[in-house]
Amino acid sequence: MERKLNAELWDKMHYLFRDYNDRMVHVELHYDFELDVDVLKTVLICFFEKAPVLHSSFKDNHVSPYWIVKPYRIDDVLSVSYPADVESAVNDFLTQCISPDSDIQMKVAVFFHDGKTTLCIVENHMCMDGGDFKYFLKAFCKNYNDYAERGLSPIDLREGSRSYDQVYNDFSKTEQRMARNLYKNVSSKDNHKFPLTPDSIRDHSFIARRKISAEKLAQIKAAGKKHSATVNDMLLTAYFFSLYELANYNAYDSVTIACAIDLRRHLKDVSDEGLTNHTAWMQCNIPERGQNIFETLKYVVYSSNQFKQDKFMGLYGLPLLKLGYNILPHAASEEIIKIGYSNPLLAMSNIGILENDKLALCGHEPTDGFMTGAVKYKPFVLLSATTLRNVVTLSMCVRGNDEDRKIVEQFFDLMEKNLDTLAQG
Amino acid sequence: MKSFIDYIEDTFQGEKDDGTLYRYKRLVLERMTARANEVTHAGLQDEQVLNDLIISEFPRLKENYQKFYAEERAKKYEKFLNKFMIFGSVAVVLLLVIVYLAISFLTDAWDATWVIIVDGILTWVVFIFSVFIRRVSGMRRIFHPIARVLLALSVMCGTTVVFLIALAVFHLPNSWLIYPFGVTMIYVADAIYATVTKQKLRIINYLVYIPAAMPMLYVFLGALDIIPWHPGWLLMPLAVLIDLVIVFAKMISNKKYKYKYKPEVDAAWNEN
Repeated sequence: MERKLNAELWDKMHYLFRDYNDRMVHVELHYDFELDVDVLKTVLICFFEKAPVLHSSFKDNHVSPYWIVKPYRIDDVLSVSYPADVESAVNDFLTQCISPDSDIQMKVAVFFHDGKTTLCIVENHMCMDGGDFKYFLKAFCKNYNDYAERGLSPIDLREGSRSYDQVYNDFSKTEQRMARNLYKNVSSKDNHKFPLTPDSIRDHSFIARRKISAEKLAQIKAAGKKHSATVNDMLLTAYFFSLYELANYNAYDSVTIACAIDLRRHLKDVSDEGLTNHTAWMQCNIPERGQNIFETLKYVVYSSNQFKQDKFMGLYGLPLLKLGYNILPHAASEEIIKIGYSNPLLAMSNIGILENDKLALCGHEPTDGFMTGAVKYKPFVLLSATTLRNVVTLSMCVRGNDEDRKIVEQFFDLMEKNLDTLAQG
Repeated sequence: MKSFIDYIEDTFQGEKDDGTLYRYKRLVLERMTARANEVTHAGLQDEQVLNDLIISEFPRLKENYQKFYAEERAKKYEKFLNKFMIFGSVAVVLLLVIVYLAISFLTDAWDATWVIIVDGILTWVVFIFSVFIRRVSGMRRIFHPIARVLLALSVMCGTTVVFLIALAVFHLPNSWLIYPFGVTMIYVADAIYATVTKQKLRIINYLVYIPAAMPMLYVFLGALDIIPWHPGWLLMPLAVLIDLVIVFAKMISNKKYKYKYKPEVDAAWNEN
């Protein structure tokens, strides 16, 4: 009998984002040994069975969409190769797009080269966000180790509800009612754009990345402390300041960058929850560029502190979306939500730390790696940041051309320069 | 397969079986085997992992058996009820005819005894409606309006039963007054249904029903001289007043669930 899964609110929202991005979340991890493919296959099958949404096909039913669990073979999920040009193979793999109506929603590639391994995973954002993907990777490594070293069955993956309203679980009854009544459209209305070239059918997906060294990160942290700013604030400040320079915005223009926030901050315990999305946007706004980057930093710190004081940070708009999807058939509600929702043109997602000790496989910690969000379609951009072994990887996934790549690289140069200035402040 | 059987048997060791347990065990085993085939097809080769994985998908067997047992009993009861309604309908009609003829011949009150047949059938209809109301109420909310229509019909049938007894048996002069009272009862019954089944926006039901039911109640009480026609008409403005009280009470109650934004946060949102 056909098994169906409920399409949750965030599944539908990310499906709606098909007009703005390719909905893929990417991860790349490098190991200095050759991992065991048979063990990897066993762990992946167990995880796919524990999280059936990963081998389901999204049915865009006009009344009420849903997932249909599909049969699969592990060889459709995992590809193993010994490429001559690893970088190109990795890029080709990471920039692929998995269709929501495909039978599997996650693909894994293992590239062996010179006794080392590059592990790449691409998954549909409709299934889970960066927060749960990080958990997935940690659980994957733990289960891999337990199975390879101790023969324990790799079945230790969280299972449970994927519903958006789990975020209310740890609130009191009164708080729950308050939060469920936050009918507010919090879409960004800023029209400042990243200066990319116009759309072209010759555009292709690429992932641009730039590393910030561990030494530099330490300096940034120390400088941030002096200004009561977090690393996120420092990155955001450099992002703002670089944009003013790159795109020649008027220095007196107010600019907004949407920052992804993990709604799991409202939950004390997520152990009985399924893999899902719990991410919303926080609109970080500065009134003007400021005389120098430190003035920009002040604006950023002020803006982000405003949000941190808010008990229901990130929960605004959820009841409105729920209402939108509930009162009308899916096809109609999508159109209504599109009218009210404005996708942020400039966004940042600080995915956070990829803990190298928890991502170790059989005692081998990853030597390098990063995670990044979806490939955005112009004019939308998302700057992702992950930290592994104290090295920050900034990445931007764009569907563009070589000119766009140059612009993004120029942006990263400015980011580096501005982070240097901040680090010295 | 053997480990699945062992797992099931070990879990239910010492458990009494009236046949339901066997059916449950068989069902679980079939499901486990089907899942094992699916996972094997996906490419899992390690049998121990396969067993552990499938067994982990079937936790709390005892707890689930209790649910299965309750469901089986409920199904049996529903089957019995279906049979009872089908055969009971025939039996009720036959019984009513017998009772009607017997009482009519004994008392020779043919002008009143026909009520036995009509009221008997109407009462049986109310019983059948009540069964369907319960079943429909257990379904998704989208079907609840059907239950509410059936509930209104049930109240109307009940009202007719009382009306016929009042008219044909007791020859009460104001028997027709039972109907406006019945209409009031429809509103009351529907409001109770909305409350018990926690219908969303049920407050709108209350706000509409109170002024709608009040004129019926006014006619009923006025005609029975329970209240005078004047100033009894004040029941109508009273209904509007009650509505206003409900609205204000709800507003006050909702106010405590209104999150007071910090002004600067609100300003920050509005800037965007």
